[in-house]
Amino acid sequence: MELIERYLQTIGRALPEKQRADILSELRSSLYDALEERSDGTSDEETAAAIIKEMGPPQKVAASYYPAGQYLIGPSLYPLFQTILQIVGTVVIVVQLVLIGLSVVSSTAISVFDEVGGIVSSLIGALGWIVVTFWILQRLEVQPDPEEAFDPRKLPALEKGFDPVSRTEQIISIVASVAGLAFLSRFAVEGGFTWIDGTGFFENPVIAQYFPWLVASTLIGVALDIVLLWRGRWEVSTRVATILSNGFSLGVLYFLIQGHNAYLNAAGMPGMFEDLSAAIDGLVLRQPMAGMVVFRAGLSIAALVIIVETAAQVYRLVWPRVGGGIAPKLGVMSVQR
Amino acid sequence: MRRMIANDAQHESYDKIAQELRRGVLILAALSQLKEPKYGYALISQLSENGLGIDQGTLYPLLRRLESQGLLESKWNVEEARPRRYYVITPTGAAVLQALIKEWHDLATVMNTLLKP
Repeated sequence: MELIERYLQTIGRALPEKQRADILSELRSSLYDALEERSDGTSDEETAAAIIKEMGPPQKVAASYYPAGQYLIGPSLYPLFQTILQIVGTVVIVVQLVLIGLSVVSSTAISVFDEVGGIVSSLIGALGWIVVTFWILQRLEVQPDPEEAFDPRKLPALEKGFDPVSRTEQIISIVASVAGLAFLSRFAVEGGFTWIDGTGFFENPVIAQYFPWLVASTLIGVALDIVLLWRGRWEVSTRVATILSNGFSLGVLYFLIQGHNAYLNAAGMPGMFEDLSAAIDGLVLRQPMAGMVVFRAGLSIAALVIIVETAAQVYRLVWPRVGGGIAPKLGVMSVQR
Repeated sequence: MRRMIANDAQHESYDKIAQELRRGVLILAALSQLKEPKYGYALISQLSENGLGIDQGTLYPLLRRLESQGLLESKWNVEEARPRRYYVITPTGAAVLQALIKEWHDLATVMNTLLKP
């Protein structure tokens, strides 16, 4: 009966090769037995179609012969898979950031799109390798080690409340940092700053001197922003990390500003904010020294902003918006904060 | 029983749950009927006559699994009209069957108590 044979052929394609002939023989005899039993005057083909329909779609029939179910990555391996994904994802991002930093420092031009695209494709590539590895493990029916009995006393401490990170803030910060890195890489390639249209040329030996530190502090900032985005909330550890990172940036800025001061004093230029407007005019007229003055002003403002932000972080560390924190309990008052 | 269920969606989820319930007894039912060698289709007919409907798509993989666990053994019989695979319970299977029967009766007692109105 052609219909039955076609059915069996389709099922057969989805069966493991070793058992295929055996399983199909059995199913064949069963289907013909059913056909014989139900012959009641209607055409054989209609009866056969009904029997086949009852048995179900070929894929489903074939699937029932896989005792462990058909999984790409089965339930027993999945938790391990998730853990590995997180670890490898983190490593890939960190490595990519380091590589970006190195290429910026070594005066290779970077394109923002290429770098971001590079990170994304590395992540996807890593995902692919991990999935293939676990698919193989699943096929080989490798079982992960049975969980040791878990100790309730080792569970993480209660989180008192939830201090969310402003995702917009972090994203803006990351975008700004990446733009800053691109800007810095142009500096590295061209040995100085130019306007976008390529005219003018401002050397800045101070920035050239501290260039690697500037790149490092920007990258540390980006890494922190990514971590904050991922965690989604402020914790003592991330606040401390931010404070330390800011401290590092402030250190770099301090040396940059001092360097500018020394340079400008040696060139007989005026103090910090005197004649700033004159300096800006000078910048417009493409006078090199004006660039240094404006840079110094800009760096000083950046330093001030970071100082204020760090002060806010310290404040929040000691008196957080919700629970926790490291302030000693002063009774009702501190809880209200 | 089905008339108690209101609409189609409830129908479907009832069907699934009822199926789960029956799936649990299939192994016991199959083992209990294989003290003498039988082939798949005959077993299906026999169970069906006794009120336990089971379709071919479910039974055959089940029999194969039980065989791989050593509870059944099978042999092809080519003397009849068409070749058929006959299954019969093994000594191991018989021991397991006895244990399962006791388990079944214990469960029934527990359930009857729980389900008292």
